[in-house]
Amino acid sequence: MNLRRVGVLLSKELFMGPKNFIFIFVLVAPIAISLVVSLVFGTLFADQATLGIVDEGNSQLVTLVEQSPSVASREYYDVSQLKEAVAEGAVDGGIVLPPDFDGSILLGERTVIPIYIWGESLAKNRTILTVTVMNLMRELSGQEPPVEIETVTLGDQESIPWNDRLFPLVVLIAVVIAGVMLPGTSILHEKEKKTVDALVATPTTIGEVFLAKGLLGVIIGMVMGIVILLLNQTLGSQPGLLIMVMFLGSIMATGIGMLVSSIVKDTTSFFATTKLFGILLYAPAFFYMFPELPQWIGKVFPTYYIVEPILQISQRGGGWPEIAANVFILIGLNIILVALMAFTLSKKRQYAV
Amino acid sequence: MGNYSIVAEDLTYWYGDLVAVDHISFHVADGEILGFLGPNGAGKSTAWKMLTGQLKPKGGRATVLGRDIAEDSQKVQGEIGVCFEYTNLYEQMSASENLRLFARLFGVRRFDDEALLRRVGLEGWGKHRVEEFSKGMKQRLMVARSLVNQPKILFLDEPTSGLDPVSAEAIRTVILEERERGATIFLTTHDMMEADKISDRVAFIDQGKIVALDTPHNLKQTYGKRALKAEVAADGGLENIEIPLDMDETPDAVRELFSQKKVITIHSEEATLEDIFIRITGRGLQA
Repeated sequence: MNLRRVGVLLSKELFMGPKNFIFIFVLVAPIAISLVVSLVFGTLFADQATLGIVDEGNSQLVTLVEQSPSVASREYYDVSQLKEAVAEGAVDGGIVLPPDFDGSILLGERTVIPIYIWGESLAKNRTILTVTVMNLMRELSGQEPPVEIETVTLGDQESIPWNDRLFPLVVLIAVVIAGVMLPGTSILHEKEKKTVDALVATPTTIGEVFLAKGLLGVIIGMVMGIVILLLNQTLGSQPGLLIMVMFLGSIMATGIGMLVSSIVKDTTSFFATTKLFGILLYAPAFFYMFPELPQWIGKVFPTYYIVEPILQISQRGGGWPEIAANVFILIGLNIILVALMAFTLSKKRQYAV
Repeated sequence: MGNYSIVAEDLTYWYGDLVAVDHISFHVADGEILGFLGPNGAGKSTAWKMLTGQLKPKGGRATVLGRDIAEDSQKVQGEIGVCFEYTNLYEQMSASENLRLFARLFGVRRFDDEALLRRVGLEGWGKHRVEEFSKGMKQRLMVARSLVNQPKILFLDEPTSGLDPVSAEAIRTVILEERERGATIFLTTHDMMEADKISDRVAFIDQGKIVALDTPHNLKQTYGKRALKAEVAADGGLENIEIPLDMDETPDAVRELFSQKKVITIHSEEATLEDIFIRITGRGLQA
């Protein structure tokens, strides 16, 4: 394996990309779908998350919230007025700061703060509110605040916004289209045009050709996934973890694409196969779309382990402890995929090297 | 001739029940042009693929530039140039981009793509996309691509097949220039005229076996028949007469021709390689 040659082949792929319809498609389609979803469901130009506050004392936290660029704040005079505003969706959420709240947390006394959340607010807004409030309390107390935030949902609790329901599908489209389609069609194109024969007649090995194409799928899949998170303003709190999951997810999608391309005969069969089985790749997204379906079924599909950690971080404010188990399953599935592909390649290899 | 660039010993390959290359043995000396002649399906391309490291021999062995091609194909491939029968260029890239890509894969640092394009008659076409090229231009670019690493051996598979005379001649000129440079040429073809023109030796392959291997001149001497062909006036029309040249009665037959007939045209005729191939195998090269 010669990394210089892999680099040459990868730069060739990137250079030829703009001349290739599939390459353009995998870049444009997820962005277009994401924008359409945001436009149709009214979140493209949505304001930032709004937080209603009832300050029963004279807390410095109100000033800190007002200065925060992450949320917009509105002050209410009593709890009933706040609850009414939350239930009607005038604000995404609201908190009540008890008298001498600042003194309590500075003394390290355990305090329970209820956060009222509008049932139809976007998941990312809920996360932003919770994370921002906790961060500001930490700033105020200068330590890990002894505060427990208790979420109380108001309004229509069953009505999850369609933007949130469709978000997992948009993320999967971004990662899966790039990972499956780009390397898969590129390998088949080389086979059909017989350019791969010319490559392996040089010191280049078939393994180097496949690695370059795999890297292309992983890089573009990861970049597109991150672009979709940025467009949906969900990269926020844990970008490192999200990028890691996107990287692992892109490896899975690329592995699937390359496995299919090493089995099927030509591009037509490839498209037919991905059309037929593609639904299985996107299946987990449908369980997020329709929460009334039995959710355990979603876990049967391998791509569940891409989208679940992403949602856990970006929409539920989770961290490494919450995603670790799913990430290890994702890594395990990737190892199986790579082994399967190496086995298939070695069985089908027509070349001496 | 001293050293051998290619040595094949008992080389064998089969696809299922079909033995494509059947225990062939031959050698090609440094700087030699070997024409590998045979009809479609004779086993030429399979032998060619084994020698270029694209197929692993299923029997026997081949040594190319002193290395076993099955064991050390990557090193061998770094020192050979390969030109395919079919077009396999990156059509959406320009001619220069195609050449530079392969130069980089070979690890060639200093590379003048314009000079190489000039050699194959494609001067000024470097920036044009290959998809705009005619078949002849593409084939010339394929030959140029096979030269990017200044190969010690040039493997050419039907390089002039189906080309216009100008393109075919341009490719033949490059082949002879490469031989002058010191490269060994392994030329697979079913064009016996081409093989006759430029090969030092030719090998006839039929049904996977080498049935004859020698210089074109020796093959003609051994298997061919020379004759004198004349057109004579007869009964208000023309009559064709053929007199074999290598027989005891030939002088008398020639004397008789000129004394008793009115000769309109006369010329000697040599056997072609195709005639010889038919004589040896009982079938033609186009079969």
